[in-house]
Amino acid sequence: MILLVIENLKISLAAVFANKTRSILTALGIIIGILSVTLMGTLISGLDRSFENSMSWLGKDILYISRYEWFSDMEWWEVRNRPRILPDYVDKIKERSQYAQAVAPVMQRGASLSYKEKETRTEIFGTNEEYMETINTNIMLGRFFTRNEDRSGSRVTVIGDGIRKAFFGDQDPIGKYIKIDDMKFRVIGVLEKQGKFLGFFSVDKQAILPLGAYKRIFSRRGWMRLSVKIPSEKMEEGLDEVISVMRHIRGLKPNENNDFAINQTKAFEKQYTTLKLAIGGTGLFITLLSLVVGGIGIMNIMFVSVKERTREIGIRKAIGATNAMIMGQFLMEAVIICLFAGMVGISLAYFFSFFINKFFPSTLPLGLSMFAMLMSMIVGVISGFIPSYRAAKLDPIDSLRYE
Amino acid sequence: MPLISLNKIYKIYNVGGEEVRALDGIDLNINENEYLAIMGPSGSGKSTLMNMIGCLDTPTSGDYEFENEVVQVMDDAQLASIRNRKIGFVFQTFNLLPKATAQHNVEIPLVYANVRKEQRAKMALGALDSVGLSDRSHHRPNELSGGQRQRVAIARALVNNPSIILADEPTGNLDSKSGQEIMQILDELHNKGNTIILVTHEDNIAQHANRIIRLFDGKIIEDLEKK
Repeated sequence: MILLVIENLKISLAAVFANKTRSILTALGIIIGILSVTLMGTLISGLDRSFENSMSWLGKDILYISRYEWFSDMEWWEVRNRPRILPDYVDKIKERSQYAQAVAPVMQRGASLSYKEKETRTEIFGTNEEYMETINTNIMLGRFFTRNEDRSGSRVTVIGDGIRKAFFGDQDPIGKYIKIDDMKFRVIGVLEKQGKFLGFFSVDKQAILPLGAYKRIFSRRGWMRLSVKIPSEKMEEGLDEVISVMRHIRGLKPNENNDFAINQTKAFEKQYTTLKLAIGGTGLFITLLSLVVGGIGIMNIMFVSVKERTREIGIRKAIGATNAMIMGQFLMEAVIICLFAGMVGISLAYFFSFFINKFFPSTLPLGLSMFAMLMSMIVGVISGFIPSYRAAKLDPIDSLRYE
Repeated sequence: MPLISLNKIYKIYNVGGEEVRALDGIDLNINENEYLAIMGPSGSGKSTLMNMIGCLDTPTSGDYEFENEVVQVMDDAQLASIRNRKIGFVFQTFNLLPKATAQHNVEIPLVYANVRKEQRAKMALGALDSVGLSDRSHHRPNELSGGQRQRVAIARALVNNPSIILADEPTGNLDSKSGQEIMQILDELHNKGNTIILVTHEDNIAQHANRIIRLFDGKIIEDLEKK
């Protein structure tokens, strides 16, 4: 049995290599199919990882109160007239909510940072001393600012690791003065390295200032959001409570709609799942389409191969090949073409994944490669089946006479 | 006990609603070490008879026993096995695999008989040697003359030590000198104890045999034994 398999393997390899161009052209559909399924998988696994990182930065146990829903189909003019989120909500929420463990107001804008002749453009955040509790990042060097520093409008700042590297290199940044839009701020702390948020904006390139100083210098009127930390096992109750607290602050009547938004990372997750499904669905569609087309191509070429070798089939049968052996010979040929196509597809995907890696940290998952090979094999078996069956059933006498 | 025994063998085709009797009640016994020639004009049924004896075809009705095994009830795999182990075919058009070397061509029956690689090579070279082609084992068919190709085919037929060798017009595609060489080899094989069945329409070729049967319209019309 093993001997026969080896022999069939040799025959099939010889047949495939005897018609190189034909084999390659035939394999093209399968190559594209395998390439698309593996690339899609690589992309999704990369997205997954980067999404998870980004979400952990946001924090799952945080409610984000602002004027706007993150993902909403509301018209902009409906939202436009909502009242602002005001700084004194912080104390009001803390006073009335039993679940809120920390409440941090956050204002954000672009600014230019400079240290000596080095300059960079980045996002600055104005917040209070509870901010650290609402993000999943630690202080790497120095310390965060205190309540007093916030109240007194001290010009101190905590910078991201990216800024530290760009401005100070190996030097100790603590106590140094940097300029934020030409205002001097003293660096008192550095945040841990975080990486990019959803692959777009680098969290490491931020500077955090006390809200007091921020408002005095930059703007009183930017938009503000509140980050409210809730114990993660009490999210449901916390959400309900914060909503009612907010409604109370706003003085809403029971029949009036909320004129504020409370966002959670869940919203991102929902959005992300939709995106993932879209990528996956498109990839799967392309994959199936090209595998079907490729499979039909293989079937076609196998019919040609059987036809061309009718006489060989007759000879082999006359000297003792059973139907099963002939069938095995041609099935093997189809499977070899498909496996070859699978390997080419995976190699190409591996090659392309280096480019994807520039945007998302991603590698071709091993399991996916194996799945892709299995799939090519299955396509080979399915598309080779009918031609091989026909070859096996050929009448030896007619085949021997075939010219 | 005959090696091959055919009893009331019929092979009937339906061509356009018309019944064609390719074999019309053949009774034939062939003994071990016989040298039999089957003759007849084209359309007389000699090819059909040869395919029947060679287990490439099964009868419409009748009884065929090959070394006491009943052939007409066998399935494809059993027929293939009988062809592989008991019958060596030599065809008019040689029927070698063009891309395989002489040695590989001779080895193919052994592959289907599940013989190990080293053993295969040994047996194939032995068979090639017995037809005087041991120095051509790595040549492909297109690098060999017609006579040499037919000798490779004979080596392939011999390699499994079959019970019978079935030669269908073995000299039909050869010049007379090569044809004589081939007949000489077949004569030698017969002298060594092999059973040979020859299909031919040439009298001088048939004269090599000890027994000649003539077919006409699917019937045996003459069965002549030479003493």
